[in-house]
Amino acid sequence: MHKTPSSSYLGPGGLDLSKSFFTPIAGVEPPSPTKRRTKITVVGVGNVGMAIAQTILTQDLADELVLVDANSEKLRGEMLDLQHAAAFLPRTKIHAAVDYDATAHSDLCIITAGARQKPGESRLDLLQRNVSIFKKIVPPLAAYSPETIILVVSNPVDVLTYAAWRFSRFPANRVIGSGTNLDSSRFRFLIADHLDVNAQDVQAYIVGEHGDSSVALWSSISVGGVPILSFLQRQQITYEKKTLENIHREVVESAYEVIRLKGYTSWAIGYSVASLARSLLRDQRRIHPVSVLVNGVQGIDCGNVFLSLPAMLGRGGVMGITNVHLSEEEAEKLKKSAKTLLEVQEKLDYLLG
Amino acid sequence: MHRIPSSSYLGPGGLDFSKSFFTPINGSDSPSRSKHNTKITVVGVGNVGMAISQIILTQDLTDELILLGVNPDKLRGEMLDLQHASAFLPRTKIRASVDYDATADSDLCIITAGARLKSDESRLDLLHRNVAVYKKIVPQLAAYSPEAILLVVSNPVDVLSYVAWKLSGFPVNRVIGAGTNLDSSRFRFLIADHLEVNAHDVQAYIVGEHGDSSVALWSSISVAGVPILRFLHQNQIACEKKTLENIHKEVVQSAYEVRRLKGCTSWAIGYSVASLARTLLRDQRQIHPVSILVDGLYGIEGGQVFLSLPAMLGRNGVLGITNVSLSDEETQQLRNSAKTLLEAQAQVKNFIN
Repeated sequence: MHKTPSSSYLGPGGLDLSKSFFTPIAGVEPPSPTKRRTKITVVGVGNVGMAIAQTILTQDLADELVLVDANSEKLRGEMLDLQHAAAFLPRTKIHAAVDYDATAHSDLCIITAGARQKPGESRLDLLQRNVSIFKKIVPPLAAYSPETIILVVSNPVDVLTYAAWRFSRFPANRVIGSGTNLDSSRFRFLIADHLDVNAQDVQAYIVGEHGDSSVALWSSISVGGVPILSFLQRQQITYEKKTLENIHREVVESAYEVIRLKGYTSWAIGYSVASLARSLLRDQRRIHPVSVLVNGVQGIDCGNVFLSLPAMLGRGGVMGITNVHLSEEEAEKLKKSAKTLLEVQEKLDYLLG
Repeated sequence: MHRIPSSSYLGPGGLDFSKSFFTPINGSDSPSRSKHNTKITVVGVGNVGMAISQIILTQDLTDELILLGVNPDKLRGEMLDLQHASAFLPRTKIRASVDYDATADSDLCIITAGARLKSDESRLDLLHRNVAVYKKIVPQLAAYSPEAILLVVSNPVDVLSYVAWKLSGFPVNRVIGAGTNLDSSRFRFLIADHLEVNAHDVQAYIVGEHGDSSVALWSSISVAGVPILRFLHQNQIACEKKTLENIHKEVVQSAYEVRRLKGCTSWAIGYSVASLARTLLRDQRQIHPVSILVDGLYGIEGGQVFLSLPAMLGRNGVLGITNVSLSDEETQQLRNSAKTLLEAQAQVKNFIN
């Protein structure tokens, strides 16, 4: 991809300083193909895509950032708005394109494209619109970056991750959905806020569907290493099951609440996905609850379905699913979640062929 | 300000395990007043205010962030969207309010409130609308945080910095406008992109009005310490004055272009203001072209006016104005810029009292 000049007046035909400004060292060889730079593609430059792109930029996670969308004016505007911050950021090459050739050799492709969830609309209602969009996006992404990791963010994320897996024909370790990574962060925020402690000291997972049928793993919550449920028992603090369900429901509702109040969510999902990008590209081997292929895991054997479980992520994508202990009730809920998603996927088989 | 619980079901009346979870050490005293947390208030939660807030958060510049606005739903939605990212960020207290008591004892107050610049509308056209808005905002901010630094971002930024100064009664070192900090970044980006060098190695200032009559200090541009005009001369690279004017015009136009393409500008101004916030709060003593009171400098006569010049910033605000040497022509252009601004200021003088 040749360099497009940013100024009309600096360069050939205008004021050209570039040829004489720097003198190359004699005998220089061109950069070898192994001296690769980290390249991230973000598909979709709406509020979510841009919050992700901008957080990745601020956190210095990529050498090259490619923005892809169908709307070329919006694309160019967003690209310029990021480029103009060059004096305040580490140097990152930022490109914008409607065509997929610009995305070639990406290390990570983040897909946020798709119709936005309307207030009151459930995530499953979006489905058919978004699967058709993915049918146009995923095959060229996969063709231009056959080694890449695909990270799906668009909703409903679990089914769309399944769709991306089918369309890309990638091995399952390289197709991940952002899943319940954000739900879990919201959960951790509520508990941390109650205890007035840092959210990073709260281990708490919400798993299953990123949506109404998600499962809060109460039996696995710990703060500073102290398991919560046994703490409550030791301190003889009684609680009703209903209270736990209400707290979980608060987490699920909070996404809808933000959408109702400000029209959409952006910042939190931006940080959530940037966190996943960092774990993947920097081989951090960190555990995140993300949407992965769970056939045969935790007693789920109903078929190929993607839903969130705590998984270790690194440069190879999903390095493994954590063998977290589930209570009988939690395991049952998870199986139910899987069944719901499978039913929905079956309705789409005609689109995925 | 008492703590508001984030969950309805965690805390008194619900599941409350906060009292027994952590045991305080016997004989602890309460935090002394001198153990001050850094507190930033951002007034206005539109695209600009939120981009600034989110970048400040990502760059870990503050312990406490207050969002102030007029729309309680939008305020709450934005606050929640940031709080939900707690698991991915250092712990920052984030609050949102329509009332100014929440802003008390801020170290830095960033004002982005005001009507948005429409496509093709010049910044001066916004003026009257925004002076009325500032009359409501600034006196209260100043009353609750008499030691704060005020950083004005709303457009037209130079005149509004003057207005904020008058309305606050603050000493001049503590009232600053975002000015041409971003224009200069755009300028540096174009030059850096042409030379394919890091923008941090390009020293280039645009000064004067943040707007159509800004002045590009060509005589002061250097790359890696090499002054550009002298370089051109030494290498016998011919350069027409018109070309230099065109490059400058490109910079001024690029703001309008982004607005036309994506509807607003947000990221670049966000990074620009976060950069100023860092320099101020961390006492970095870095030089930024920002809007400050210039009275009698460079032969600017006719009264007190705010316009951008390279100024050293630190914990006490404006520590000094750089004595940059201007060519005769640049001095004249600066005086013209000042004249434009003085005329605009004259129009609002009566309005302020």
